[in-house]
Amino acid sequence: MSKPHITSAYDRDLEAVQAHLMKMGGLVEAAIIDAANSLETRDEDLAEQVRRNDRQIDEMETRVNEEAARLIALRAPTAVDLRTVLTVMKISNNLERVGDYAKNMAKRTSVLVHMTPIEGSASDIRRMAKSVELMLKDALDAYIQRDGALAEDVRLRDREVDQMYNALFRQFLTYMMEDPRHITGCMHLHFIAKNIERMGDHVTSIAEQVIYLVTGEMPDDARPKGDKTPYMAEPRG
Amino acid sequence: MNDMRIVERDVETREIKIRGDKVQVFYGDNHAIKDVDIEIQDKTVTAFIGPSGCGKSTFLRCLNRMNDTIEGCRVEGEITLDEEDIYNKQVDPVQLRAKVGMVFQKPNPFPKSIYDNVAYGPRIHGLASNKADLDVIVEKSLRRGAIWDEVKDRLDAPGTGLSGGQQQRLCIARAVATEPEVLLMDEPCSALDPIATAQVEELIDELRTNYSVVIVTHSMQQAARVSQKTAFFHLGNLVEYNETGEIFTNPKDPRTESYITGRIG
Repeated sequence: MSKPHITSAYDRDLEAVQAHLMKMGGLVEAAIIDAANSLETRDEDLAEQVRRNDRQIDEMETRVNEEAARLIALRAPTAVDLRTVLTVMKISNNLERVGDYAKNMAKRTSVLVHMTPIEGSASDIRRMAKSVELMLKDALDAYIQRDGALAEDVRLRDREVDQMYNALFRQFLTYMMEDPRHITGCMHLHFIAKNIERMGDHVTSIAEQVIYLVTGEMPDDARPKGDKTPYMAEPRG
Repeated sequence: MNDMRIVERDVETREIKIRGDKVQVFYGDNHAIKDVDIEIQDKTVTAFIGPSGCGKSTFLRCLNRMNDTIEGCRVEGEITLDEEDIYNKQVDPVQLRAKVGMVFQKPNPFPKSIYDNVAYGPRIHGLASNKADLDVIVEKSLRRGAIWDEVKDRLDAPGTGLSGGQQQRLCIARAVATEPEVLLMDEPCSALDPIATAQVEELIDELRTNYSVVIVTHSMQQAARVSQKTAFFHLGNLVEYNETGEIFTNPKDPRTESYITGRIG
């Protein structure tokens, strides 16, 4: 962190709101991992727990935003302090969305555990979720360390997640064509994969906020995008 | 989960230090304070804000009977400090003012040495029995005033020779030397630059651990920064009194909202 303020209460306020954001980040990381594990191990209780815990994440978002509003009202932050408060608010919003996607994964898992498993898909999804969780962890570390380079690295890694999503998209399409009885399960699995892909986008947005926090400017170069599915037409052959 | 509202949580548990009950102040025919009920908490910074002439300074001056010195000023209703009526005939205003210290808008050190500025109060109140005791009190007070390091090598220099910010901190050190329970501050930073202001604000935040601090300020941002409770006065009425965060994010009275957002009320 930069040099302390003469009024130390200001530092305490800033630290407190960021500490809450990090705590929220920890809960969201756990939600991603638990949701993916519940799918792979077909653990309905764990899925139920992820759904329940989302409320806590939502409450923390409200709290972080209230505290950020207070900080703006009471301290009139400027320069890096202003960027800190603005990024706290945006990141809390991103984290809340990621939490929602994890909750949606858990809901679909509660359905999927009662159906015949699609071979290999759950472990692929867990790997994809793990990459996103790692990206989130690094993005939050980059935030705390004010590490723009790490944030840039996270931003570029989203492409890998997109590629995993493309692969899963094709895989589910193939299964569904092979056997229409797979359609329901594969549709759920596809939405789960799509949810994780969206999580990656939110984590990327967090990384961009870190870059803004550190440099004062949003990264302007277009980041590489890997999601090719919007252009996918009839499969060949 | 509660660690974010450190400041506010503290406030909730505080005891009432000063209570005003239906306080009225008249300057001759002018009804300056109308029916003010207020409970000021111990170990809390309470800010009084409001436009000029709203009565905030007048009310502050009631709390240590400074208004007694003003010709034609009449105070009605009841003001208690630790449940004791401070306008009771038995109360010696000089003793009261030792308990309820005051810092003024303009730094006003005595034309004496730094040491004597601080030692003056303890001397007249007989708080030290010898020079060594007095030295201890002076050092402790200057430390509390967050100015010890800057003046420890020149305690014999005149207090008036210090910079404005240092003079104000010297005055705060002088005010705390008599071990008051309440510290009243009337625009303590209006004559200071932003750095000196920040230093005094940091000091106010530290003083809160020992004292109940009541500050009158024209700067709404200062009230927002230093206080835990804010009272908004308007035309002699106490319009709204609440937790500072509430006042500045979600005031209940439209007059408060107009004032703090800089609209014509």
